Amino acid sequence: MSSREEILKALQGVQMPAKAYPGTFTSQVHGEDTLADFLHSMQVVSTTVLQVQDASEAQPLLDEHFPKLQRVRLEKLSDGLSLAHVDVLEITGDFGVAENGAIWLDDAILPHRVAPFICQHLVIYLSKKNLLPTMQEAYIRLGNQLTGFGVFLSGPSKTADIEQSLVIGAHGARSLVVVLTES
Amino acid sequence: MLSHAEASEKFIANQERTDWHDDTLWFVRAKRDKASKLIPEWEALREHASQIKEHMLSNLPQYLLEFEVNAQANGIQVHWAKDAHEHNEIVYSIIQKHGDKALVKSKSMLTEECHLNAFLEQKGIDVVDTDLGERIVQFRNEVPSHIVLPAIHLKKEDVGETFHQHLGTPKGNKDPQFLTEAARIHLREKFLAAKVAITGVNFAVAETGEFVVCTNEGNADMGAHLSEVHIACMGIEKIIPKRQDLGVFLRLLARSATGQLITTYSSHFAKPREGQEMHIVLVDNGRSRQLAREEFRNSLKCIRCAACFNTCPVYRRSGGHSYHQPVAGPIGSILAPNFDKKANVDLPFASTLCGSCSNVCPVKINIHEQLWFWRQDLMKEGLAPAGKVISMKLMAWVLSNPSLFKWAGAMGRKVISWAPWLVNNGLNPWYKQREMPEAPKQSFQEWYKSNRS
Ligand code: SF4
Repeated sequence: MSSREEILKALQGVQMPAKAYPGTFTSQVHGEDTLADFLHSMQVVSTTVLQVQDASEAQPLLDEHFPKLQRVRLEKLSDGLSLAHVDVLEITGDFGVAENGAIWLDDAILPHRVAPFICQHLVIYLSKKNLLPTMQEAYIRLGNQLTGFGVFLSGPSKTADIEQSLVIGAHGARSLVVVLTES
Repeated sequence: MLSHAEASEKFIANQERTDWHDDTLWFVRAKRDKASKLIPEWEALREHASQIKEHMLSNLPQYLLEFEVNAQANGIQVHWAKDAHEHNEIVYSIIQKHGDKALVKSKSMLTEECHLNAFLEQKGIDVVDTDLGERIVQFRNEVPSHIVLPAIHLKKEDVGETFHQHLGTPKGNKDPQFLTEAARIHLREKFLAAKVAITGVNFAVAETGEFVVCTNEGNADMGAHLSEVHIACMGIEKIIPKRQDLGVFLRLLARSATGQLITTYSSHFAKPREGQEMHIVLVDNGRSRQLAREEFRNSLKCIRCAACFNTCPVYRRSGGHSYHQPVAGPIGSILAPNFDKKANVDLPFASTLCGSCSNVCPVKINIHEQLWFWRQDLMKEGLAPAGKVISMKLMAWVLSNPSLFKWAGAMGRKVISWAPWLVNNGLNPWYKQREMPEAPKQSFQEWYKSNRS
């Protein structure tokens, strides 16, 4: 008997009462102001937010924010290693979640899966129209469509593994700027 | 091997460090409280999470099969391992096929449980743990002392010295920012060179065949996306039925663990990258046995948030290493006797049964009750440590008789105030190195009686 069969047989042999699936979680309570909640979460996760009319308006602000660094937008790449030298990567996020500042990125929008992790600094453009209150709405929006890889990203990478002191910039991006556009 | 009580005695000998450990973890617990209070539906979420997990456990074989079919359709190779050894062999055979001598690994308590590192090192493979805390303890030839905060037993001076020895940072430098930067540079080199990456799994979704890995540092993603081969290792109880369930669990996990809103990265792996191989190893290693133990079945609901560690007065003051198990703390003390009753007989006794663990657990495991069940089980089998048997028998007798319970409580309070040395004696290891609290003059019941009406 293979291990697979052995494990399944052992599990099937356990007598236990059936427990019903509780269904979709519906008791969530929404804040009154999704935008305000999102901005608050961004602050909690050490992220700079630039609120602008459209993307072009953000350019001088970004020049000022990253005075010496080159910012790039990239097409699809097959080689992730080439991204190791990118200082500031600009991408567009799909949608954001107000309760925790998480922004959904997936294969459809990423030049390479490692892109948002390996770059030194990350800029995400996000439309105010694409803000959702909680993770529940986020998964409803995602449905069951699969894109191979997707990530909820909330803030720059961080660690507190040395005596619980928070250090921003562990292995992933050292900083995150979210450009929040009206349209 | 030292028993939990003996190891704790060593740990608490350094009063200052014990206090620091205690305070630090309490601080994490307080952050968890704050985060949970900001969600009005918190209790409903816990209840929902608990029900999803109970449902999953009662249908585990079906969900595993559903996961397998969907993962395979996504292009993931699925392996089954009945025990730790088989798990290690599977991982090794995949590495061997690619002829590599080095790999990067992000945090996975399962691989700790299986002692994968030691196994691979014996075969000449260099395993690089990439979580900062895990890299620190790996340099020191130690094991993690906490499942979420692996190096929580160390002070920054210790880390500074370790990095001085292994990474050549200046002697005496103990600045966390500087040390983290040194680790970032050191580990980037490893990420860029590694062909094989191992990660753990937080949740695996039967409906979609995808799995989710949560980190703050981004180390799991750096490893997985740069590698040619990604091996994810998971215990079979990590399955959840539907994708929408992730909404419930991701709202609970980080808030319960560290009081964060969510981890920085919650990565959903459904299909390998073009040209990449993706493997998942489903491991039983005693889980089907635990499922069959009715009283302990619910321990398999655990999502490894460590909230029960941070709140536990015994864990906070004895340190993770005193549990001599990869998963320490209250939940570890329930899981360990399932592996080996005799070797872990001390662990269910490493608790005051105060119940704080059960109160914070995001999936509502009756942790303290299960500890109590283990004590009874171990005593029945004659395995309980000698000193404990007498006091347990007394306690069982007292607890089974309500009027006696009231009387014993009143007596206890009197004894503490009249003759503290009776309680603070060598028979009770938990009172070592500490003063007993001042006894309240009235119990709640007495207070209620005299203040009612
Ligand atoms: S038992 Fe509950 S509180 Fe403890 S680690 Fe598991 S999920 Fe968290």
